[in-house]
Amino acid sequence: MPIGNLDVPIIGKNVVIAVLVQTHILFATFIIGAVLIAATSEYLGMVTKQSNYERFARNLTRFVVLLFASGAALAITFVLALVTLFPVFFSILQNIFFWVFLVEAFMFLGQIIIVYAWYNVWDKLAYRKSLHVVFGFIAGFFGLMAMTMIDAVASFMLTPAEVTSQADLVARSFLNQTMVPLNMHRFVGNFSYVGFLIAGWAGFRYLRTTREDDREYYDWMGHFGLLWGFGFLIMQPVIGYGYLKGIRESSPDSFNTIMLGDKSWVFNLLVLWIAVLSIASTAYFVHKLRFAIKPMETLRKLAVGALGFTALFTVLNIIPANASLVPQIGLVFGQGEDTQIPLGSMYPWKYIGLIGLMLTGFFILALYLRASATGFYWGRASRWSQFALMSCAVFVVLTMVTMGYTRETARRVDNNPGYLIHWCVTLDQQVVGEKCPTEPLANEAGQ
Amino acid sequence: MELALLLQAGTTGEPSAIGVFRFFLGFFLIITLYSGFFGFTYWISKDE
Repeated sequence: MPIGNLDVPIIGKNVVIAVLVQTHILFATFIIGAVLIAATSEYLGMVTKQSNYERFARNLTRFVVLLFASGAALAITFVLALVTLFPVFFSILQNIFFWVFLVEAFMFLGQIIIVYAWYNVWDKLAYRKSLHVVFGFIAGFFGLMAMTMIDAVASFMLTPAEVTSQADLVARSFLNQTMVPLNMHRFVGNFSYVGFLIAGWAGFRYLRTTREDDREYYDWMGHFGLLWGFGFLIMQPVIGYGYLKGIRESSPDSFNTIMLGDKSWVFNLLVLWIAVLSIASTAYFVHKLRFAIKPMETLRKLAVGALGFTALFTVLNIIPANASLVPQIGLVFGQGEDTQIPLGSMYPWKYIGLIGLMLTGFFILALYLRASATGFYWGRASRWSQFALMSCAVFVVLTMVTMGYTRETARRVDNNPGYLIHWCVTLDQQVVGEKCPTEPLANEAGQ
Repeated sequence: MELALLLQAGTTGEPSAIGVFRFFLGFFLIITLYSGFFGFTYWISKDE
């Protein structure tokens, strides 16, 4: 390596990057999703003339404006840490993705400008609401474009395409095998994650507030947030399957590691979090149906049945394939991988579990939306239903963190070596491998 | 031992005691920073 190798005492430099990036992503995803949900809410307020939508959109936008500083500060700190701790790796990434990073920076700038303008002219454009709503959607668009740029980089790190010419370098690196499915997965995830957080926050405020009008508002907000959260969550198994299929086809070893091998516990954790999200959301819907303005007892009985099926399918997803649960810390029972657990195999049980969860999810959501059409009595929800919303907020954060860890750890197949860019740059920043896209650059320079 | 193996010795791939410690420390820091920044943002926004 041409320059010195720095490390960070106690925590280690890998964890420094992980902490900064994971935290940044939690904020960045929140900002992208919240801007789009707030813009949609403002639009719904304009169309339906219901004041809740407008109040919610404005408050959420103000929060996003204030939160921008934290997200941006973490991004800058992360880039500084990367330049300092992984200079060779970062130079190579910059070399391959110069234009992508540049576009991302301008998208980020555009998002900041439009979000600030959007909030600032809220009153000025009160009588030109259509124009004002457009501000929000443009800000959301800029955010999505920034996300798309960084998804190209992140997906490339796991599944870099084989590059044989300078022309390939840009096109095939940007549109590598997992870029599109990752981007779709994150696009949907933005809404789901923010929806659950909004629902959790509403639940917390509902329990603390003493004013009747606020109780009604936060009850409505919990319902609105959960519709986003759960509605988009149930799309994720299909999109996630597409993403994993992309990984399996272009990097089978990584797929085996995270789905079948030593790191398959991350997926067991993931489905555990999704089980909590699904059951808590479905239970909330069942509870809420009691407060429909037009009584719908049959609908509610169907929803109770759906709750039972949700529990059944989530259990199918959770059962591990074998008794080697977390080998890294010695959590192995019986004969380890040789001890197969009944109903634990991927085929057919996990597929049945995931497909069943989606279908049941769509079913109960349809029932709930049918009841929503006639309206609910707001402000009467029970305490436990609000705790269900709050648990959704906690578990969606765990889901995000677990998924981030899963993608990054997939490049450490047998850890000999682990890669920063798969098959190209190792953890100690050695450039290796025939597929490494820096090779044509070096050749062109006559090296 | 090569540098690559040295660097990985303390990670979650082939974790030693320090690798497991770092894993949980990392998780703790993520949650702390996240809730800290969120809490701060709420604190500066609530009186408006």
